[in-house]
Amino acid sequence: MLVRLKEVSKEYRKRLILENVNFKIEEGDILGVIGQSGSGKTTLLNLIAGFIEPTYGEVTYLSKATNEERNLTKNLHKIKRHIGFTPQHNSFYPKLTVHENLWHFGKLYNVPSAVLKNNIRNLLNFTKLIDHQNVLAEHLSGGMQKRLDLSCSLIHKPKLLLLDEPTADLDPILQKEIIHLLQEVNKQGVTIVIASHHLDSVELLCNKIAIVHKGKVHTHGLLEDIQKPYLKEHFTIKMKHGQDKERLLARLKLLPIQKIVDNGYNLEIYPTDIQNTMNSILEIIREENLYLHDLDMRKPSLNEIFEKIATGN
Amino acid sequence: MKAVWLVTKKNVKLLLRAKGSALIVIFAPLLIVLILGLSYNTSSQFGLSIGVYAPSYTDDVNSFVTLLEEDAFTIQKYDSSLDDCIEDIKMGQVHTCISLPESLSVEDNTPREITFYVDPSRLNLVWMVQETVQGKFDIKSQEISEGLTQNILTKVAQTQTTITETSGTLSSVRSEAAAVSGVTASVRSDLAVLDLGGSTADFGSEILKNLTEELDSAKESVDKSLERLEEANMSASDKNVLRRYLTEASESLAATDEIDDNGTSTSAKSVFAGLIDELNVTRTKLSKASTAIAGATPALASSGTTLEQIQSSLDSVLASLNDISATLSAQKVTEAGTIVSPLTTIIEPVQEEGTYLNYLFPAILVLVVMFSSLLLGTTLVMMEKNSPAFLRNFFLPIRKMTFIISVYMTNVILIIIQLLVILGISLFFLTDTLPQFPNLALVLFIAASVFTFLGMAIGYFFVSEETGILASISLGNIFLFFSGLILPLEGLSPTLRSIAQYSPFVIAKNLIREVFLFSSPLQAVWVDLVIFVGYAVVLFVIILILESIMHKHLVHKFLRHHHRAHIQRDKMNKGRA
Repeated sequence: MLVRLKEVSKEYRKRLILENVNFKIEEGDILGVIGQSGSGKTTLLNLIAGFIEPTYGEVTYLSKATNEERNLTKNLHKIKRHIGFTPQHNSFYPKLTVHENLWHFGKLYNVPSAVLKNNIRNLLNFTKLIDHQNVLAEHLSGGMQKRLDLSCSLIHKPKLLLLDEPTADLDPILQKEIIHLLQEVNKQGVTIVIASHHLDSVELLCNKIAIVHKGKVHTHGLLEDIQKPYLKEHFTIKMKHGQDKERLLARLKLLPIQKIVDNGYNLEIYPTDIQNTMNSILEIIREENLYLHDLDMRKPSLNEIFEKIATGN
Repeated sequence: MKAVWLVTKKNVKLLLRAKGSALIVIFAPLLIVLILGLSYNTSSQFGLSIGVYAPSYTDDVNSFVTLLEEDAFTIQKYDSSLDDCIEDIKMGQVHTCISLPESLSVEDNTPREITFYVDPSRLNLVWMVQETVQGKFDIKSQEISEGLTQNILTKVAQTQTTITETSGTLSSVRSEAAAVSGVTASVRSDLAVLDLGGSTADFGSEILKNLTEELDSAKESVDKSLERLEEANMSASDKNVLRRYLTEASESLAATDEIDDNGTSTSAKSVFAGLIDELNVTRTKLSKASTAIAGATPALASSGTTLEQIQSSLDSVLASLNDISATLSAQKVTEAGTIVSPLTTIIEPVQEEGTYLNYLFPAILVLVVMFSSLLLGTTLVMMEKNSPAFLRNFFLPIRKMTFIISVYMTNVILIIIQLLVILGISLFFLTDTLPQFPNLALVLFIAASVFTFLGMAIGYFFVSEETGILASISLGNIFLFFSGLILPLEGLSPTLRSIAQYSPFVIAKNLIREVFLFSSPLQAVWVDLVIFVGYAVVLFVIILILESIMHKHLVHKFLRHHHRAHIQRDKMNKGRA
């Protein structure tokens, strides 16, 4: 365990933004914090970063050296050395070159010069900015700027990297690029916490998810565990014009089916046990000369789960 | 036109809704005008502190001091030494020093000199002091001039009276002299008729004289011969013979009393008779003359009396004239220039005369330091606050103070570079000022620190760079207006004046003046230095507090901004869907 939130609540102007949050972030995790706008996910991220203090409860960090939990607020100055933060918008000096930015922040993190040189070289290679190290940051492309921002957060080799909307405003290719980079970072032992709207990206990247809804952590844990309650395998059968729908429905009702949604010539079939029902349905389709329009056997997406939670279904 | 109105209305709304901009752009100039208006809305109080030195405080010196005090000048008397007074000018404790003579009364043709000691580096004050105090001197000078003129007029009046009185005597003298003149004329006419001429006839007086002398000589010789004859050793007969001859000769000589008119044979008696006649005629004439003289004597006696009176009168006139002369001689002030301007003023600078650059140099330095530091301080803080890296800085394991000190250091380094350039160039114009540079550098460093902290405080307080810079410029202008550089502080109301004395600009300017112009040691200005350093420390603490408050404010602002951005993005995403 690296970070623990114990009964954390946050009030802002007497309005409760986060209420009684309890969860842990384990070392090596990539935790995605998702939620609607105003749900409190950025507040949660800022609380973990120490950017704001909790009104109630506490955020603690585990010190590996002493194996004891330290209150973040009280030990912020020391703990900051182990945190990297990448805000939503680029956070570097546009009038400094790539190298100058990295050197500046690295020195402020008290990284020894020799180590820092090495870190910069590795990061520039890693983020493919090596050829642009002497270019002013403001002259970089959007993707390069994001990579530079990420490099600035990693220059001191933090244990925990916090990212706020790392893929926002990026085109799909750049999003993939950043996700790949973060995966590589994680492989190097950096625990990552991401607050994002891009649920697809989060689903691709994160092994753990915390869904924040109306100021509360609705659910959190491994992605698979979160998906389980929302599994929803089903078939969609498309009928041809003039075929006997009534006969087909009568045959289907003999099978262990939870519900059938009749959409005219499309029938959505939700079996109770898809493994046992699949062969029987495929046989009926073949005998009745029907067309199998869609067979959806995947787990529900994070987006769907999130929608369900958001809409209260 | 409608569009123009709409856009204008929008602009006003935007301006007013940005609180900082509204405050600075609209209300700050009004506020400045109000402050200045209230501050300089005074004419009666000059607030000048005047040092007066006199060898002794006589009544007329004291009366002049009282005259100065009537106009609310603060008068400080220096009994011991004029140098103390001059030192106090340098220290800014008095604005001018007036050296008065022992007495202001003018005794001779030399006007009384009054010396003003002024600090030429305070050009506007010098003129103000001259304008105001000179008025008082003019009054006093006029007073003395009136006294002198009155004195002259009194003497003229006295002279006139004396002359009037003397003119009566002179008239009387004139009448008497005229009377004497009449008498004299009468006597003259009487004497003119006297015939005192004698006979012009020649009585052979020379001949007679010679003859008489020869006869006398002959007779004497005969008589001697007769005497010697008795003693002669000869016979009696011979003696008788000789005696007879001699007696005959003597008798013959006695008989020579007739000699002619030509000296040969005329009788002496006739001659004498003629003489007697002539003498009688002469006697007659003399008798007449005597009568005439006897007649003139009383008149002449009378004239003598009159002349004595005239002499007496003239003595009196002479005495009067001597009095007038003495009176006029007593008037020592005789030159018109001295009478018109009995008091002359001399303006002496308390330091060696220099160029205007010398006097303006402290103010120029403070101006450069103030505006550069204020603007740089604000700009650097704003740059940091509004930098995209602001959030990242929060996560850096360094203290807030580090950022504050680094901004301060950046500013000070830039100001030092500027000052090095200015001071370097100034050495070409202001030679011999190099020894003052170490102290000057210290004062400028403290000044730069104070103004930098002020600029930084503004930077932390205001949100946008534009309003921050505008606020810095406004603050700088307020300092400038209340520095005495444009309008003398002495023209301010007393309360504001005492406040303005503690303005960092005023303190900096005074310190630089002391150190640079008067070469004062730092010990002499330690109070101002301590106040200045105190400002820097207090401002640093204020900045720490402001930074802390502003940080919380910025965090909340960031969160709000973030929240709004999310909502906007959600809306856009929904729109696309």
